[in-house]
Amino acid sequence: MLTISIPSHLLRHRRATEICQCIFIFFWSADEPLDLSKLPAFLVEVLATVLLLLNIFHEIMGRGYIVQDDVEGYLSKLCEQKADPVTGLLIGQSSTQRDFVVMAIRTPQKEESAAAARNSVDKEWVTEHARQVSRMLPGGLSVVGVFIITDADAKDALTTLRQLLFAVENLISSEHLWDPADDDVTDCVTLHINPKTRKTVCRTFDIKDPKSVAKPADWKYQSGLCSSWATVSCSLNVDMLLPLPNNRTSTGNMEECLKEGLKAWAHQIESGLCLIDGKRLPEDSELTVGQRRNVRQTYTAQLLITTENKRLTDVIEQCGGSVSVTGAIHSRAYLHSNKPKARLAEKLLKRDVVSTVATRVQMMLEELLASDQESKGSCRDKQQKELFCLPHRIFCPLKVSGPLCVCDYQFSDEGLSEVTERLKEMLDIDAAEEDLDTRQEMTFEITGCDITPEPTQEKVEAPEHKKNYIGVAMATAVALLATAASMLYLNDI
Amino acid sequence: MVVVDSETATVLRVKGLLEFRCQLDSTDEQLVRNVISRTFETLRSQVKSESCVLAVSDSPVIIWPNKDAYATPEEITPSTLCEDMHQWIQADEQESSGKKSSKKKSKKSSVASVINLRLMTEVTKPGPLSAPILTKTVLKSHFVSVTLPLDCVVCTGRSDTIKEYVFYTKHLLIEALTHQLCEMEKVTLQNMKGMTLLVPEPVHFLLPEPKGLVTVVYPVGVPDSQLVAQRKELHQQFELPDDRPYFRRANAYHFPNEPYKDGYLRNPHLALTHPTLDNGKVYLVQGIYSYHHYMQDRVDDNGWGCAYRSLQTICSWFQQQGYVELPVPTHKEIQQALVDVGDKQASFVGSRQWIGSIEVQAVLSHLLGLTSKILFVSQGAELASKGRELANHFLTEGTPVMIGGGVLAHTILGVAWSETTGQIRYLILDPHYTGAEDLQVITDKGWCGWKGPDFWDQTAYYNLCLPQRPKVI
Repeated sequence: MLTISIPSHLLRHRRATEICQCIFIFFWSADEPLDLSKLPAFLVEVLATVLLLLNIFHEIMGRGYIVQDDVEGYLSKLCEQKADPVTGLLIGQSSTQRDFVVMAIRTPQKEESAAAARNSVDKEWVTEHARQVSRMLPGGLSVVGVFIITDADAKDALTTLRQLLFAVENLISSEHLWDPADDDVTDCVTLHINPKTRKTVCRTFDIKDPKSVAKPADWKYQSGLCSSWATVSCSLNVDMLLPLPNNRTSTGNMEECLKEGLKAWAHQIESGLCLIDGKRLPEDSELTVGQRRNVRQTYTAQLLITTENKRLTDVIEQCGGSVSVTGAIHSRAYLHSNKPKARLAEKLLKRDVVSTVATRVQMMLEELLASDQESKGSCRDKQQKELFCLPHRIFCPLKVSGPLCVCDYQFSDEGLSEVTERLKEMLDIDAAEEDLDTRQEMTFEITGCDITPEPTQEKVEAPEHKKNYIGVAMATAVALLATAASMLYLNDI
Repeated sequence: MVVVDSETATVLRVKGLLEFRCQLDSTDEQLVRNVISRTFETLRSQVKSESCVLAVSDSPVIIWPNKDAYATPEEITPSTLCEDMHQWIQADEQESSGKKSSKKKSKKSSVASVINLRLMTEVTKPGPLSAPILTKTVLKSHFVSVTLPLDCVVCTGRSDTIKEYVFYTKHLLIEALTHQLCEMEKVTLQNMKGMTLLVPEPVHFLLPEPKGLVTVVYPVGVPDSQLVAQRKELHQQFELPDDRPYFRRANAYHFPNEPYKDGYLRNPHLALTHPTLDNGKVYLVQGIYSYHHYMQDRVDDNGWGCAYRSLQTICSWFQQQGYVELPVPTHKEIQQALVDVGDKQASFVGSRQWIGSIEVQAVLSHLLGLTSKILFVSQGAELASKGRELANHFLTEGTPVMIGGGVLAHTILGVAWSETTGQIRYLILDPHYTGAEDLQVITDKGWCGWKGPDFWDQTAYYNLCLPQRPKVI
């Protein structure tokens, strides 16, 4: 029995999906393999040819990025500035189904740089900015690419962009406490805009492959992109107790211990069971099944973990002390509106859980290292015991309509003005203190987490296959070839 | 210990690992015990809290026992019968012991089905929230980091609905879990010496009716020989005879859905239907043995090793009843034992020479410290008159019997004997089988089966080796 499964990247092309659906409505369903033995032989040949054409087509066309139209205005304004080159980051979400860009952020000016230096790209500065920005993005949003506005030669610009992209992505992924998943998208985008002609060149690179070459990509603006994105969130308890080694107990040592402990905890979270709105959804099911599109959706997640590693021997060891992290965090992840899968929601939320805790611990350690004796928010109980309040998370909505927010971490001795300053400097966002959402943490109100464990009575509607006749299928097969050919030549998808 | 009546239908078994971590500020014994107790108390309140979750293995059902909540697929509602719920639990591959029908008929079958649950912790919860605090304590001290292997069993009756199941889990399993944590605390504190700590480990034992399944917490790493006092207490508590072991680690109950790791068949005779004789009774081997036969363990002993295999079966019985810790000896080890006692020349080791009942008795004595009785029959036809003796043996000792004579050796696992008519049948385990561990083949083809008196060579003489149980606990 012959079966094929249609590669998911081909399904991203809307027209291709519709055409396939026309022909194979008898037997085809989006996630099942197609049983070729039920079709007459010549139709199989037609199918093979079609797929070959589509594949070639896809190779030529590459990825398509759908961009929030505010970004166009932002980039335009940057073009009008005197500075050249202007670099920056592109923020969005890449999935196997779609690529979205929701925000562009220019690299902040380095104050001490000399005038001459302003005309060149400081790779370390760009990557450091990217690292900071990455900490301020909730789950689902990440640095998906870099842009440059310069009237330099396109080839030079692309080379610079390539260097920046790899440096940025490598730094960000090196800080991750999780292992990359098989279904992670490793393509990232570079955008080169000529400020005078406003010509835009968009390319993608596969950052998993150091020898990757530029592939063409589509860059399309759209309004109201994020209005119906889904939000999955939860509040999660952290309770870690780790021994400090017996020799020195400097901050450096504490960092080692915490990193190890966080890695083990991250592994627990990653392998934990995830319930969304009280239900355990099958992996390949869609998150938004049964919901109307274009309606804002919020989901509450629950995470159940177990201990995996048995420890039955050497259970008491000497130590130089201990370090514990206890408390709760608010975690959230955003999902694009194009039929996101439950598996993606789970992955993005878990990653946000891990990174928000790791980020705060890292920030606290950086503070301790910087300020030697007296640290922010510490209170000395006895000679040996110190308590540090980790910064808590504040959300700031993006001006685009929709649920998207960025976040920042506020130490207990900081005011909201410092938060808004950072949002301006790092993310180029003008936010007022009233806009900030400080209620998710450090509050005793019930926050936006409604856990409803009772099974709901919603019925799941199974997609229905329309039955049709082979005659019609044959006719549309011919139509397909014609359309495929036209797709190639007219470049219209 | 949780005592569970094994006659009822379903056993719920919860397994899970709980992390036990604490810092010991000082080495003062009392303070250390206080810290340990406090940490156990924290774990107990965790089990009783709303973040304790039980997930039914191999099914999509999740239960929060401490609040009225569960997550199930939409088809299951609170009034679904638990029997219907069983279809959601994937049927495990049954390990090859026993056709299901005969297991249900036999009264000795203890549990019809076991539902496994995993203990999990929910880390998410609704507010109120307080942002995390990092506490750093600098002090030369000790750190305790253990994972406690929790393992509780609870019996429930049949035909309960999901709602009743939830009730049971709410009360019985949570009680069982907290009780087990108390037991673990006791065992841990009992076995603390200075700065060493032994991990407590629960073991289940199936006691004779009506006591059923019992769970005992033992310290990991302490051999049975050092736990005699505990076992004496247990025997007293459960009013068990003090001449045979019930609580050695080897006596641990083997749950029906757990496969045996070594691959040998256990008790293939349970798959048979026993003969009914006029006024006759069936007397069988007691306990568990593994079936040893030709060609196993990559030893080609076809044609010469039958007595060795019968001996191995007997050794496996003593090992699994907890009398010995020695693993089943290989052919070479058996031969070496005979050389060591002076019964054979050194050249015997590695040869393909046969052994008989006398050698079997010698090896059981030398390697395992066991005594055995020898029964002699001058003619195979006389064996039929030994019904009473064999019946008595299986009643009192219950050990497998090795019989050698003519050119063959076999294992007798039981007799069906009528006192009035003198009719007799023998339950034979044949070591001459050369095939794979296929219960179907072994029972169908009679490699383990009931034989009549004509099974024996009527003119040859036979020696029987009847191993005796040591009177120990």
